[in-house]
Amino acid sequence: MLLPTFEFHEPLSIKDALKLKKSLGEDAKLLAGGTDLLVHLKKKLITTNNLISLSGIKALSLITKEKNAVIIGSCTTMTQLSSTPIIQKNFPALKAGCDNLGTHLIRNRATIGGNACNASPAGDTLPALLIYDALALLETSDKKREIPMADFFTGPGKSCIQPDEILTGFRLPIPGKNSGAHYIQLGKRKSSEINLVNVAAFLKYDPDTKKIIDARIALGSVAATPIRSPKAESTLMGQTPEEACFFAAGEMARREDCHPIDDFRGSARYRQAMVGVLTKRTLTRAYELARSACI
Amino acid sequence: MNKFDVISTRAHRIDTPDKATGQAMFTDDLCRPGQLYGVLLQSPHPHARILSIDTSKAVNLPGVKSVITHEQAGYIKYGVSPARYDETVFAIDKVRYVGDEIAAVAAVSLDIALKALSLIKVKYELLPAVFTVEDATKKGAPQLHENSPGNLCAEVHQEFGDVAAALKTCDIIKTSTMKNKRQDGAFIEMQGCLAEFDNRGLLTLVSSTQVPHYVQRTVAMVLGMDVGKVRVKKPYVGAGFGIKAAACPMELACCILARETKKPVKMNFTREQVFMYSRARHQFTHTITTGAKKDGTLMAIKHECCLDGGAYTSFGIATVYYTGSLLGGPYKIANMSYDGKRVYNNKPACGAQRGHGAVIARALFEQQMDMIAEEIGMDPMELRIKNMMDTGDTTCNDLNMSSFGMSECIEAVRIGSNWDKKKGNMPRGKGIGMACGFFVSGAGYPIYRSDTYHGTVIIKLTEDGGTALVYTASAEIGQGSDTAFAMIAAEALGIPLDNVRLASGDTDMGVDLGAYSSRQTLMTGHAVKQAADHAKTQVLEVLAEQLLVPLEKLDIKKGFIEFAGDTPDFSALRTRYIKEHRGWIDNPDSKKLTFKEASRIAFLEKGSIVGTGKYKPHNLGGKFKGAAVGTSPAYGCSAQVAEVTVDMETGQVTIDNITDAHDCGKAINLTAVEGQMEGSVSMGIGEAMHEEVIFNDKGQVLNNDLAEYKIVTSVDMPRVKTIVVESCEPNGPYGAKEVGEGAIMPTIPAILNAVYNATGVRINELPLTPERVFFAIQDYKAKMAK
Repeated sequence: MLLPTFEFHEPLSIKDALKLKKSLGEDAKLLAGGTDLLVHLKKKLITTNNLISLSGIKALSLITKEKNAVIIGSCTTMTQLSSTPIIQKNFPALKAGCDNLGTHLIRNRATIGGNACNASPAGDTLPALLIYDALALLETSDKKREIPMADFFTGPGKSCIQPDEILTGFRLPIPGKNSGAHYIQLGKRKSSEINLVNVAAFLKYDPDTKKIIDARIALGSVAATPIRSPKAESTLMGQTPEEACFFAAGEMARREDCHPIDDFRGSARYRQAMVGVLTKRTLTRAYELARSACI
Repeated sequence: MNKFDVISTRAHRIDTPDKATGQAMFTDDLCRPGQLYGVLLQSPHPHARILSIDTSKAVNLPGVKSVITHEQAGYIKYGVSPARYDETVFAIDKVRYVGDEIAAVAAVSLDIALKALSLIKVKYELLPAVFTVEDATKKGAPQLHENSPGNLCAEVHQEFGDVAAALKTCDIIKTSTMKNKRQDGAFIEMQGCLAEFDNRGLLTLVSSTQVPHYVQRTVAMVLGMDVGKVRVKKPYVGAGFGIKAAACPMELACCILARETKKPVKMNFTREQVFMYSRARHQFTHTITTGAKKDGTLMAIKHECCLDGGAYTSFGIATVYYTGSLLGGPYKIANMSYDGKRVYNNKPACGAQRGHGAVIARALFEQQMDMIAEEIGMDPMELRIKNMMDTGDTTCNDLNMSSFGMSECIEAVRIGSNWDKKKGNMPRGKGIGMACGFFVSGAGYPIYRSDTYHGTVIIKLTEDGGTALVYTASAEIGQGSDTAFAMIAAEALGIPLDNVRLASGDTDMGVDLGAYSSRQTLMTGHAVKQAADHAKTQVLEVLAEQLLVPLEKLDIKKGFIEFAGDTPDFSALRTRYIKEHRGWIDNPDSKKLTFKEASRIAFLEKGSIVGTGKYKPHNLGGKFKGAAVGTSPAYGCSAQVAEVTVDMETGQVTIDNITDAHDCGKAINLTAVEGQMEGSVSMGIGEAMHEEVIFNDKGQVLNNDLAEYKIVTSVDMPRVKTIVVESCEPNGPYGAKEVGEGAIMPTIPAILNAVYNATGVRINELPLTPERVFFAIQDYKAKMAK
C-alpha cells in the first residue's frame, strides 16, 4: 500500500501554520505524530492534497507550569509526557494512559493533540483529560478560545475544532490536596491494544469529615465519544470512600452512564459489564493514591 | 557416550552477523537493472461469475508493460497435492473468494502498476456466497466447484480396531467438542518474488518461500517449461510457518509477467494481501469420545472433525488426514476411529501451519485426559505415563516410535515446574495444567508421488584444502537450518565450524523438499552427514595410501588428523605442502598433521574432492487409504506445564509460566532448539489467547493487519523454562529429530487445563478472550447457583 501523493508543508510557527490552514482550506490536514493519520491516508479513509506538518513548531511540544495549571503542547509525545516529572507527580492517570497507548515506537511519535483530534472513543489519553477537567486550547489567526474537554468531542472521529483552527494544547488545573486519580484499560492482550473498555477516575475527599467532595469518572470505548459518567459521580458525593460506594458507583456507571455497541473487537454486553468492574477498580485505586499522597 | 566437538553446543548462528547488522538480503531488498513492478487484480466479491475482463485502458497507460489474465496464464490446474489440483493462476469463469486473482500488471513503477489496476474493468454477475461450514453444507447451498457436490472438498473415514465394542467395556466415557479459529501465520516478511528470464530461456525466480523445490515444479508445470529451465532461489526468508510451503499465484503471475515483458519483474504482497491469501491454520470443529477403564487404561477414541476449508484445497487433503492420524499416539490406544471432512466456502483457502492438522485435536484430547484423571482421582501426569507408548511401539495406525522420550519429558516438567507442590494447592483464580504432544520429523512421503530422494547434498573441499563448501537446496527460513547443517558437516568432517561455508535454498544445488513437516534436521541432516563422510573418506584414502597406514586407523578431529596407535612420519607430506607456500608465514608446524594439509594433498592426488549425500526414508506406514499421512522416520515429543492467573471479574487470563520439555533426539544446536521451543510456545499462546481472523458478512477480513490480528507481544509472553530431552533417534543424524512443530502441541491444552484448574470452567472455543472467559465463568456461576 502506498501513501497517496500530497503537498507537504512544514511551518515553523503557529502563526504560519494558521495562515497555511486558512489559505489551503478544509482539505488540508494537520500532521502531528502521524500514527493515525498516515495509516488512514494509506488505507484511503482520508484523502487530502495538502499535509501541514506541525513538528517544526517547537512551541507545540512544550510542557509548562502556570500558577495552578499545567499547559501541555498539543504535539507533546506520549513518551515525553510519561517521562516528565510534573506530569508524573500531578497527573498519574494521564501518565498511565500515555504508557498504555500502542507500542514503544508509536509512543515515541504519537502526540496528545493527535490522540484528541483522532477522537477515537477508545483513545488512551482521553478519559484522563476528561477527569482532570482539561481545557482544549484552540487558535485561529484572529482569536483564541478554550473549550472544556467535556464539550470537545462531537462523535467518533469528530471534534468541535473549526476548519481554520489549530489545537495548540491543553490546560490542566493541578489537582488539590487529598485527591487522587487512576486509569485502567482492558484489552485482549497486554500491549499494542485497542481498548475494549477504558476508565479513568478522580476522587477528592475532605480529610476532616472523610467524605468524598469531588468525583469525576470518564468512560472510554462505551459510547460514540469518551464520556463522563455523571450518575455514577453523583452517587459518590458525600459518601465515605470505601468498597461499597465504589461498587455502587460502578454499578451505576454500568447501568446508566454507558451505551456500548457490538463490534468485531467485543460485544456491548461484555463492555457494559466491564464498565462496572473497571469503575470500581479505578475509584479504589484513586482513593488509595489520594490517601497515600497526604500521608 | 559420543563426545562431540561441534554439535551439541551453543554455536553462534552463521547468519547472525548478517542479520544483526541489517546486511541480510531478503527478497524485497533485491533489485535488478530494468526491473518492473507487478501487482495483482483480486476479486472484491466472494462469489461471482466473470462476464468480461476489459484490460484495454490499462494496457494503454504509459509505463505499463504487460497486463495478463487467464488468456496469457493458461488453464493448467495446479495446487498442492496432484490429486486435488483445483486452482488456476487467474480465475477463468468465476471468482470464489475476496482476493481470488483475476489479472496482473507489470509497469515501470509500482505507482503506475497500481493505477493500471484501477483501469481494468471486470464485469461480474454476483452469485450467492457461503461463509460457514453450516451454510455451505445446507441443501441447495451455492456450489463452489463443479466436481465437488455439497461443497465437500475431502472426507476421510478410518477405523482401527473395534471402537464400538471397546467403548462398551469402558468405565468412563468422555465426549466433548472444541472449536478453534482461523489463524494467520503472521510471519514478519510478507511474500515477495522476483522473476527473470535470461537470454537462453532460463527462468530464475527468487522468492520468499519455504519450498524452492515444489515451487520449481509448479512453475515449470504451469508455464509449460522443462524443470531444468526453471531455477528457484530463496534468499533470507522472514519465516513461513507452513503458509509459504507451496507455490502461490503471485509467484506464477510474476514468472508469466517476466516472460511477457522479457524484463525482471518484482512483486510483493501487502500485509492485507497476506491475510487475503491466507493458507494458514484451518478452523477445526472436533468432537471426541474417549473411553477408559477405571484404572485409567485408555481403550478407545472416536473422533469426528470438520474443517472450514475456504475456496480451494491447498494443503487441505493432507490436513484432513493429519487431523486424524496424529491422535494415534503418544498413548497406547488399540481402537480409534476418525471421520473427517473438509468443506469449501467463499473465504480464502486454509492450508498448513505449524503442527499441521493436529494442534486442535490434541488440544481437545489432552483436556479429556485431564477429565478422566480427575474422575478417577489420578494425577494427570501419572495417567499419561500409565498409558504412554514405549520406544519401538507402533500405533494402531502404523506410526512407529523409533525413539520416544515422552515419559522423560513429563518427568522433566513435573520437576521443572514444581508440579507436585503446586497442583491442588493453588488459590482460586490461579491454576496449573499440563499436556503432551508429538509430531512428525519429516513427512514420510513427498507431496507428489515419487521415489525421489527427499534431500541431496554436495560437499566440496576447496582446492587449497582449508574449507568445506556445503551445497544444499534446503530452506533456511529463520529456524536455523543453515547453522545446523554447517555444524553437522563440521562434526562429520572433523573440522571447526569456521572452516565450513554453506550455501542453500537454490534448486541448482540439488533436490530438497524444503522447510515443512519439521523434516530438514533429520532428512537434510542425514544427507549432509553422508556427504561429509564421503568427502572425509576420500581424503583419508589418499592419506592411507601416502603414509601406508590402514584407512581404519585414520580419523579427523578438530581439524587435525588422528592416528590410532603410533603416528607415522608425515614430514614428506608437510614438506610437499610447505613447498607450495613459500613466503607464507603461517605454514603448519603442529605436532599433528592438519586437515588443511591432508585435504590439499588429496586434491593434488585426485583432483577436486566432492562428497555427495542423499536421504529418503525407508518404507513407512500401513496399507490402508491415507496410511502415508502421519508417517515419519521419527517423532519428536513434548510435555508442557502452564501456570495461569485468571481475573475472575474481567475474564483476563495471564500466563505466568510455561515449563516445556522437548525430546529432539539430539540437540545439534542447543540454543536453536530452545528458540524453536519458545517460538512454538509463543505461537500456541497466540492461538489459545488472542488470534482469530475475523470476516464480515461480505467475506472480507476485518482485522487484516497486525494491529487488529493479535499475536503475542513481548509483554504477553511468560517466562518459558525450556528443558531439552535427548532420546537419540536411531533414524536421525547423530540421533537428531524435530523440534520446530511438536513443541506447539501441548501449549494450548496445557493452558486450557490450567484455566480449568483456576476457574472450574471448561471452555470449548478459542481464543480465550477476556470476554469468552468472563461469560463462561458467569454461566458456570449461574449453573452452580441453581
